[in-house]
Amino acid sequence: MAEVVLKNLTKRWGGFVGVDNQSLHIADKEFLVLLGPSGCGKTTTMRMIAGLEEPSSGEIWIGERMVNDDLPKDRDVAMVFQNYGLYPHMSVFDNIAYPLKVRGTPKADIAPRVRAAAEKVELTHLLDRRPKALSGGQRQRVALARAIVRTPQVFLMDEPLSNLDAKLRVSMRAELKHLSRELQITTIYVTHDQIEAMTLADRVAVMNHGVIQQLGTPDEIYNDPANLFVAGFIGSPAMNLIDGSIREGHFVTTGGTRLTAVRAADRARVVLGVRADDLRVSEPGEGDIDVPIYAFENTGEATLLTVQWGQQRVIARGDRHLRKEQNDIVGLSLNPDHLYLFDPDTGRRLTA
Amino acid sequence: MRDNTLKYLLVLPAVLLVFATAIWPLVESLRLSFTVGRLNRPPSLQQYIGFENYTWAFLEEPAFWNSVWVTLAYTAVTVSLTTVLALGLALLLAPGGRLRSGVQTLLILPFAMSPALIGVSFRFMFNPEFGLFDAFFGFFMPVFAGVSWLADPVLAFAVCVMADIWGWIPFLTLVLIGGLSSIPRETIEAAQVDGAGGWRLFRDVTLPQLAPVLAVVVILKSIFSLKTFDQVFMLTNGGPGTATQTLSHYIYFNGLKYGQIGYAASVAWLMVIPMIFLTYAYAKFVFRKD
Ligand SMILES: Nc1ncnc2c1ncn2[C@@H]1O[C@H](COP(=O)(O)OP(=O)(O)OP(=O)(O)O)[C@@H](O)[C@H]1O
Ligand SMILES: [Mg+2]
Repeated sequence: MAEVVLKNLTKRWGGFVGVDNQSLHIADKEFLVLLGPSGCGKTTTMRMIAGLEEPSSGEIWIGERMVNDDLPKDRDVAMVFQNYGLYPHMSVFDNIAYPLKVRGTPKADIAPRVRAAAEKVELTHLLDRRPKALSGGQRQRVALARAIVRTPQVFLMDEPLSNLDAKLRVSMRAELKHLSRELQITTIYVTHDQIEAMTLADRVAVMNHGVIQQLGTPDEIYNDPANLFVAGFIGSPAMNLIDGSIREGHFVTTGGTRLTAVRAADRARVVLGVRADDLRVSEPGEGDIDVPIYAFENTGEATLLTVQWGQQRVIARGDRHLRKEQNDIVGLSLNPDHLYLFDPDTGRRLTA
Repeated sequence: MRDNTLKYLLVLPAVLLVFATAIWPLVESLRLSFTVGRLNRPPSLQQYIGFENYTWAFLEEPAFWNSVWVTLAYTAVTVSLTTVLALGLALLLAPGGRLRSGVQTLLILPFAMSPALIGVSFRFMFNPEFGLFDAFFGFFMPVFAGVSWLADPVLAFAVCVMADIWGWIPFLTLVLIGGLSSIPRETIEAAQVDGAGGWRLFRDVTLPQLAPVLAVVVILKSIFSLKTFDQVFMLTNGGPGTATQTLSHYIYFNGLKYGQIGYAASVAWLMVIPMIFLTYAYAKFVFRKD
């Protein structure tokens, strides 16, 4: 149980910067999610905290200690590796027991603790197998069990659920959430699954190109994106981003349509962001604009309408009972309370 | 059908070649081992004498037993020393090890030298008057100053061992480096995070995963140590006395020097037996399926 502090942490390989001057304060017992596209430096950040990668510059603090010069074994962290890192010559039981054995846990305590950990990830029937004889999802659960068998200062989990099937992923997610509340251990969790990030995190750090783009609660990240990248990355479907300008206090698309719902100071170029949920679908003539349907999708719990608006395509979410055909005309109206304006050059959010 | 015939026709030369150069001599030497087999007598006089050559070796020839012990000692010492040293070097030189990998290429050099040449150069280097090693050892350990290494039974044996190890370490190091680099890096890293370091990490994670390659190294080196001939021949010629006379050297002496080819063949066949076991074990490890 400890806070983790990163101070100006940088990792460079030759000229390539993997993690760029990152500073982050993770509170004791906090569940922090690192979220970002592939290659943005999530694993690298995590490996530096674990001591497997040496930072090019900057400091790492765990609790009261600067751990830059500590070996991984002395940092008292537990890690779930993205590619599992199971010991191929040991049974599942021995894999899970290894951290306990190495750290000198009394023999009598080992077996019950291994069983308990295996139970949490639904592995008890596989304890005698070798990793080679397991599926990807099963291996991942062994890796998870090996991490939670101990109570370290910090959990580091690198996409621990990425290889599970949809159903197991949901139940493991709940298990992890429960576990983190129960154990109260600081956790840093890497994922590029937004639902995981949203449901598990106390705070989310959205990363891109080795830089944290925004750090905030899931709510803030979703409802108050700091820039174009976060706005476009969070949410499924992604936020609609529409090019245009502000003239006479109103947003005008590049195609010339004026939207009175948007009010702001005049500006030559802006990007308007609006989520699919904040677009209301209506009959032609009843909304702010009339647009033809490019594609109509029914997901069961809702409908998704991709419409052709001038040069751009925009996605709106409709009622689940709505039935439309391609090329039908529908009306769309924007919810004026949930619109975002961005500077297209810097990507920064503009306050209205 | 035509394809099938062609298939056999194409491998036929190879089969014939193996038969002519390996199988036939083997069978022929087995036959010889049951005869008087003198090089200086015509074949018509080479009568069949049953197991007499074998019983002679076992019961009447202390020199045979001497060479058995020399060979076993030689094998035990060279195999264990070479393996341990090669493993140590491999750990230093493997990716992520402590030394630059450029050194790796230099390593193959001693292996490129013929064992006979190694023997000759070691003989020069241990010459008591102008030898390099002799001067070196004499300087740092005055006990050895001016000692005639190759004239002392124990020291001569030690020199043979040194030359052997020097010639073999590079190749086996390379093999072990290959084995080490095929161990998944995450398993090592996971163990480090789990709390293992140094010796513990090596024993629990590295060594078990290296075991199959290590077994190949030990078996391969055992095979080569058991049949050591050329180095010993050039360095000590089995001497002083018979202190460094390996089985191969003993066979050579009896067969080609004394002309007792039948007797030599029977001793050679006694050597074939452990060789077959080792070769079988080797093949099993090399062609093992996971
Ligand atoms: N040893 C290395 N040498 C050079 N570049 C590296 C090295 N390791 C990682 N990188 C680069 O650093 C960047 C960040 O890698 P990292 O593994 O942290 O990405 P990630 O965010 O975990 O991605 P993913 O979601 O695909 O796992 C990548 O562009 C990668 O190519
Ligand atoms: Mg990664």
